[in-house]
Amino acid sequence: MWANLPCPEGRAMAHGLQPWAPGRLSRLWQVGRAKGAAWLACWALVAAALLAAAPAQAGLPADYSPLVLQPKLQDGDRLEFDLRPALAQARQAGKRLYVYLGANDCKFCRRYEAFLAANATALKGHFAKDWLVVDLRSQLNLTAQRLVLRTDTLALPYAEFQRAIGDERARMLVYPSVWLLDGHGKPLMQMPAGNGTFETVPEQLEILRLEQ
Amino acid sequence: MTDHIAPPPSDADGRGAPTRRRLLAWPVALLPGWAAMPSTAAPGGLPSAAHGDSSVEWDRLRPKLFGDRPVLAGTGKVQLTAPLRAAYGASVPVKVTSLLPQNDSLYVRRLTLVVDKNPSQVAAVLQLQPGVGQANIETRLRVDEYSHVRVVAELSDGTLHTDSRFVKTSGGCSAPPNRDSPELIGRTTLRLAAPFQPGGLNTADVTVLHPNDTGFELNNVTVMFIPPYFVRSIRISQAGQPLIDAELDFSVSENPTLRFHFVPQGPGELRAEVEDTKERRYVGQLALP
Repeated sequence: MWANLPCPEGRAMAHGLQPWAPGRLSRLWQVGRAKGAAWLACWALVAAALLAAAPAQAGLPADYSPLVLQPKLQDGDRLEFDLRPALAQARQAGKRLYVYLGANDCKFCRRYEAFLAANATALKGHFAKDWLVVDLRSQLNLTAQRLVLRTDTLALPYAEFQRAIGDERARMLVYPSVWLLDGHGKPLMQMPAGNGTFETVPEQLEILRLEQ
Repeated sequence: MTDHIAPPPSDADGRGAPTRRRLLAWPVALLPGWAAMPSTAAPGGLPSAAHGDSSVEWDRLRPKLFGDRPVLAGTGKVQLTAPLRAAYGASVPVKVTSLLPQNDSLYVRRLTLVVDKNPSQVAAVLQLQPGVGQANIETRLRVDEYSHVRVVAELSDGTLHTDSRFVKTSGGCSAPPNRDSPELIGRTTLRLAAPFQPGGLNTADVTVLHPNDTGFELNNVTVMFIPPYFVRSIRISQAGQPLIDAELDFSVSENPTLRFHFVPQGPGELRAEVEDTKERRYVGQLALP
């Protein structure tokens, strides 16, 4: 379903832009040792430049063992994130849900993910103790009207879902967003729109401790 | 119900009270000092503070509002409730709870709400009468960056009591307001939050549909800042007796709302008279059983 959506990463792969492919390297060596060395250096530079320019990997760092959820197409152009397996898993493990909604083309999402990656040593134990981390993979053009969230009792577009669970963030869908839910999908604390207020270790710990 | 009314009488009480017009001048005076302000940095670089802390902004503003009068903290006379983080910086729920009964011998006569780091720090000044029964107020404020939100309660004996909360949010003064129904601007609604108590304490809400533009919001089409346009006062009365005179500023969220108490002063409607910065006036009325 993502093929129909403007996904930068998807387009790059579709055009076969893989300058570091082993087949190309082996062909370079057949040109000649002198020329080959020069070509190799050139390709290495190009590859390094491309790697540096490429967008960072989207999604929460593996250190947090996130349960990654991709949306499923529903009712025409709506995309649904089904939280039911995550809720069941959380109930079974006696944990809470830390539900993260990120977009693959959202710089603030990359910033938060980079923060988590850089501070994994300090944070991952706190996450692992009480939380099942859920990573909803979206993109910016998935708007509030098209984004559906499903729990055991609800399957509603973003704004209606927020109103149904008593979350004040119904007015505007902001990427990234975090929900703190119990095993039945009930919010544990009103969260802010965006993640800018918990991108330090002490503040992230405030969130995990449910400090209001 | 909404219509236009005659201009209200002057709000100056001649006692040096912090009226909105007087207080609006202070943020401008403080601007040059902002660059030199130290801040306590959290590990990520953001300011961090305890709820009861002072701030550079408050240390500068307090003597301008209250002179050298002592502002007492921790006296148990007034309590402020606000979330550490709100859903949106443009709409932070704030509740003021008075911990003493409102009677003629001793009552809260003025509440001043301050957001230390907002471009306009004094969000509201409310003059209260004993008829409110209990000086509890709920409203929503804009908080532009990590900041203390404070209340100062002035009692009828002249003492000042304060409480504060540190709120972590940002962008409250530049968030675009809802402009779906401009024809409804000024519609003022009063409603009871619970069944009417003829001789007892009642709770009511007054809401004014209004963008309460701060002047810091960008029009994405014209790429121009939207001029400030906000509700500057709400005067609430019951049976012709004044209950609350509220001087407001754009630090109050769009669609300003006040939840308040009142003890009926006799038969007669509950009435709210509203004026905004374009000197447009509106009235909300609620007939009581």
